Amino acid sequence: MSREPQTRVVKLFFREAIARALREEMARDERIVILGQDVGSFGGSYKEFLGLYKQFGAARVRDTPVAEASMVGVGAGAAAAGLRPIVSITYMDFLMLGLDPLVNYAAKARYKTGGQLRVPLIVKTTAGAKGQGVAHSQCLEAWLMSVPGLKVVAPSTPADAYGLMKSALRESGPVVYVDHKRLFPMAGEMPEDEQITPFGLAKYLRRGADVTIATYSHMTQVALAAAEALAAEGVSCEIIDLRSLAPLDLATVCDSAGRTGALLTLEEGQIVCGVGAEIAFRVREKLGGAVRIDRVGALAAPVSSNPVLEAACVPDSARVARAIRGLLAA
Amino acid sequence: MEKEQVIYQLVVPGPIEDVEELRVLEWHGDVNQEFLVDELIVELETHKAIVEVRAGQRGFLRQVLGEAGSWEKIGKPLALLSDASDEAIPASLDGVAPLLAAFEVM
Repeated sequence: MSREPQTRVVKLFFREAIARALREEMARDERIVILGQDVGSFGGSYKEFLGLYKQFGAARVRDTPVAEASMVGVGAGAAAAGLRPIVSITYMDFLMLGLDPLVNYAAKARYKTGGQLRVPLIVKTTAGAKGQGVAHSQCLEAWLMSVPGLKVVAPSTPADAYGLMKSALRESGPVVYVDHKRLFPMAGEMPEDEQITPFGLAKYLRRGADVTIATYSHMTQVALAAAEALAAEGVSCEIIDLRSLAPLDLATVCDSAGRTGALLTLEEGQIVCGVGAEIAFRVREKLGGAVRIDRVGALAAPVSSNPVLEAACVPDSARVARAIRGLLAA
Repeated sequence: MEKEQVIYQLVVPGPIEDVEELRVLEWHGDVNQEFLVDELIVELETHKAIVEVRAGQRGFLRQVLGEAGSWEKIGKPLALLSDASDEAIPASLDGVAPLLAAFEVM
């Protein structure tokens, strides 16, 4: 039986895509509750929870104090007790306060109890530099990728913000869902029908022949701009949006890098022990020395609230293009 | 003497920080309705705010080019207004002057 073509699409703001996923899943599964600062009648710092408090009430959409350790701790405990909490940590920088319950409890509970306890907790948090200075700008997702039992996803479009949130809300263990301040002004189309983005599956954003850029979240925009600039010079870039960092879709990255023979990893966070370091090693392990590899990320400095220094610290398309020229000349 | 121009186009106002594209939320009047100075013509929606667009000059709403729910980029035409309710609508927007308008991001 052939499937009907999906013709009807809706266009939503990034925040609305998140709210759509939550609304649909909360209607489907009454165990889902939201905890966070200003998630209630205010609708969330980025309005990504707008309408949910009104629809589902104060028992399921709960405002919390500014107490991240307790928020994640309560979420982990509630998840172990049978709920599916989504805890909103507005700035990823402050997820540090909740790392103990997330890493030592939520990610370990299933192993520690011989499979008797599951902790389907989602921590939704917002990373990235946008004029807010040293402790409100960091991208710390690489720290989380090394925690066994923890999944980490990072959408770059409204369609994946929706699709990955749907997947996250059906997981049996803890998930960190990382969005980015600079993605929120974006609007994008998605099918009107439900569409789930599976974890561990990267997506090609642009096809090309000379070099592979493996990236995710807001840096996809930077990669696309760099690819445009390089196309004018006759360099053809292939861009992979990883979407999911743990699990990582290494097969797609290797497929592409094997064809192009050159791989640039691009992240907004630090490159030391970063997402790119991990990918580079695993690609080298799989494909050997035939693939030239470089990585681009933030400079080894705090992200300033001074816009000039902020822009100098995080990667831009000029830096990406320069790295690719160097890689291809090597 | 050149004929006085009496048709105006209302465009999506800007600049608005971080915003390229907005969604038309609600028109506050029907076609052929007269808007006086400072009256609210249309509300637009950004990713985090409502933008109120008010008439900066008197005019009749003649044609809506961006219906509620449609997505429009900053600078794109949203509607045509005219000084008189029976002024002919031009076939093309080329050379149609912008309507004086004020906007506020709420």
